[in-house]
Amino acid sequence: MIKRAFIGLTAPRLEYDLVEPDPKVPETIPIPPRLILLLNERLDSTKETILKKGSMVKNGDRLCLYRDSTEYVLSPVNGTITSIASYTGDLGTYSTYFIIEKEPLYDEKKTVTEFTSPVEIDPANRFLRALPGSPPFNAFMNPDKKIQTIVITGTDEDLLSDTHQYFLANHLDEMNQGIKILKQITGIDQIALTIPEKFKLPEQPEGLQIFKISSLYPGAIPEMIIKDHLNKVVPAGGKPEDLGICFISSEAVVSIARAYKGKKFIYDKLISVIDKEGTKTMVRAILGTPIHRIFRQLNITASEKDRIVIGGPMKGLASYTLYQPVLPDMDTIMIQDKKDISHVSDYPCINCGKCVKVCPAHIPVNLLVRFLEAGLYEESADSYDLESCIECGMCAYVCTAEIPILQYIRLGRHELLKIRSDREDSDREDSDREEEEAANA
Amino acid sequence: MHNQNRYTVSNAPFWHDGDRIAKTNYNIMLATLPAVIFGIIMFGLPALGVIAFSMSTAMIWELLFNLVSKRSISIGDCNAAVIGLFFGMMLPATAPWWIVVVGTFMSVVVGKEIYGGIGANPFNPTLIGIAATMLSWKTYFDFDAALVNYNFSFKALYPLGALKHQGHAAVDLFSMSNLIMGKQVGAIGTVFGLGLIIGGVYLILRGYIKWEVSISYIAGIIITALIFRMAKPDLYAGPMFHLFTGYTLFGAFFLATETSSSPVNLIPMLIYGLTGGILTILIRNIGAYPDGTVFAILIINLINPLIDKIRPKALGRGVSNA
Repeated sequence: MIKRAFIGLTAPRLEYDLVEPDPKVPETIPIPPRLILLLNERLDSTKETILKKGSMVKNGDRLCLYRDSTEYVLSPVNGTITSIASYTGDLGTYSTYFIIEKEPLYDEKKTVTEFTSPVEIDPANRFLRALPGSPPFNAFMNPDKKIQTIVITGTDEDLLSDTHQYFLANHLDEMNQGIKILKQITGIDQIALTIPEKFKLPEQPEGLQIFKISSLYPGAIPEMIIKDHLNKVVPAGGKPEDLGICFISSEAVVSIARAYKGKKFIYDKLISVIDKEGTKTMVRAILGTPIHRIFRQLNITASEKDRIVIGGPMKGLASYTLYQPVLPDMDTIMIQDKKDISHVSDYPCINCGKCVKVCPAHIPVNLLVRFLEAGLYEESADSYDLESCIECGMCAYVCTAEIPILQYIRLGRHELLKIRSDREDSDREDSDREEEEAANA
Repeated sequence: MHNQNRYTVSNAPFWHDGDRIAKTNYNIMLATLPAVIFGIIMFGLPALGVIAFSMSTAMIWELLFNLVSKRSISIGDCNAAVIGLFFGMMLPATAPWWIVVVGTFMSVVVGKEIYGGIGANPFNPTLIGIAATMLSWKTYFDFDAALVNYNFSFKALYPLGALKHQGHAAVDLFSMSNLIMGKQVGAIGTVFGLGLIIGGVYLILRGYIKWEVSISYIAGIIITALIFRMAKPDLYAGPMFHLFTGYTLFGAFFLATETSSSPVNLIPMLIYGLTGGILTILIRNIGAYPDGTVFAILIINLINPLIDKIRPKALGRGVSNA
């Protein structure tokens, strides 16, 4: 863990890691006998699922829950579904997991052409969203928010991670091919690439804008990239898509290139794994590999009360299980020994002002946290800029009172959405009732 | 799924810079040491007694309040110790024990705990205690009378008192080097200007206090004193005299910077400090009290919530949904 510098006059400097010039070949994790695929849709007990326990699946099958589902996963292997169950995620999100028992004989080579002809957005959206890097093709499907700019991230959002940079450093050719295909699929010409400011591109790619991203955290967070390099500001509570900007990771672009070139689905996900000592290893694992397989291969033991983090140290999510599967957007896995876990207190804010100094979004964190602690979520959003937060975690990192500020903020946003949707529902009911009464009169 | 270990699940960020309230308070106490040790050497054992008694009673009051109000014991954060230390530093070495007991009660219980404890106090707790005792038992804060039995090697007159009574003529009685080196009559921990500066600079460099407040407070003192001096040189003392006498430096580095009663945004911090400095000199030069630091800082504590509304617009605020 990075500790406070002795001289504390200036704001803390948290620097992004820079990928090594000649990185080692990533360690390959063998395909496990049992894969877990997580599907971003809630299991509905009143509806009948298409796939059932015992269903056979083939490599490349598009697995969905129901006939009208838009969410899907791709089966990386031939096998049998042994379980379909509900998975509880962060802040009451529910998803569904399939457990697939792999057939002993594994035939990998299979050519698929569903998405290659024609090279268009519809088939891409229908099949390729589950590629490693999870290309957000659905963002291009929204007619209300037309995407005009694509930003390819060769920089990693969080500290310690190297995954996006790895593709930038090692697979630039494939990235260029992927960018060409991406242009063809989306019809968008305005494409930018983010690179770390200290990274030297071997050649200037044609027709690409290059954004040199500051090595200081949180420079590589999408909202900051938009502010610093596109001179636009994402509206509070909005998304980059509202401004017509879509972010795609370098890994997603490479996966697209490989998928179209080989006419096959890609399942190999690259992950930066950080062990308890802080040593980083790149691993290549098939989507759906439970992370305990990765830990076993790297000789990492997860003991009671350790913390397993999916994502980096500032923005990640802690996982409660080692059966957490490798997902298309999982760039980093970090494990902390229980003795390294930072303390969290129930102290009130002492108004020291360090959070206000480090906040890149200029939020009055000292006041916001008081309102959030009191559960006043609407006031927090109206007067204290709850929705401007870009969730970089700097405030909680420097907090002298050790308040879990980011947790309050995430909870506050979640509750705010709930309050608003409840209100819309009741408004709708009211207006329905009024209409009914008017009709009756 | 199988039986497995239970892991710690919590929210991001998973790193922390390691700062704690207690650590901040240890550093503040460390920073007061040059001034406190100097005071103890100069005023002898009674000074040590006042400081030690003040710190311990402040902690006992907090402990008692914790027990009475059935809240978790909070003396471990050392905030009460710091309040007690500051209170002791602002007393003359001969202060009677009951002033310390009453003063720390006013500071810790009335100044802080009844508002909800640390972080909730609208005023600097130490100053609540000092103001209450100072207004109630004025004679004990008359430093000339309090220290009458000491034999000093320098002019045994409280500089600000002398200034109040004799006007500018008093300034010549004190040499600047004596004032800076602490050779003056005053409270235990606030006479040694150089020591306070060393402590203040240490805290600023370590980032434990708001430097904007300290610097602008001192700027306020210097500018206002200079204006007075230029207007009537025969009546008012110069800025350096004001800076190194009374509670000025202690106020600038240790009192005005108390976290929960001071602003957090840049411009408000500058206004806050500057106003404090201006008010201090106004009270000294025009008001009834020889030293205005206590009341000046209490007044800026009062305006803090109002001025802290001046803040930059948050990211994405007022941007229409494009």
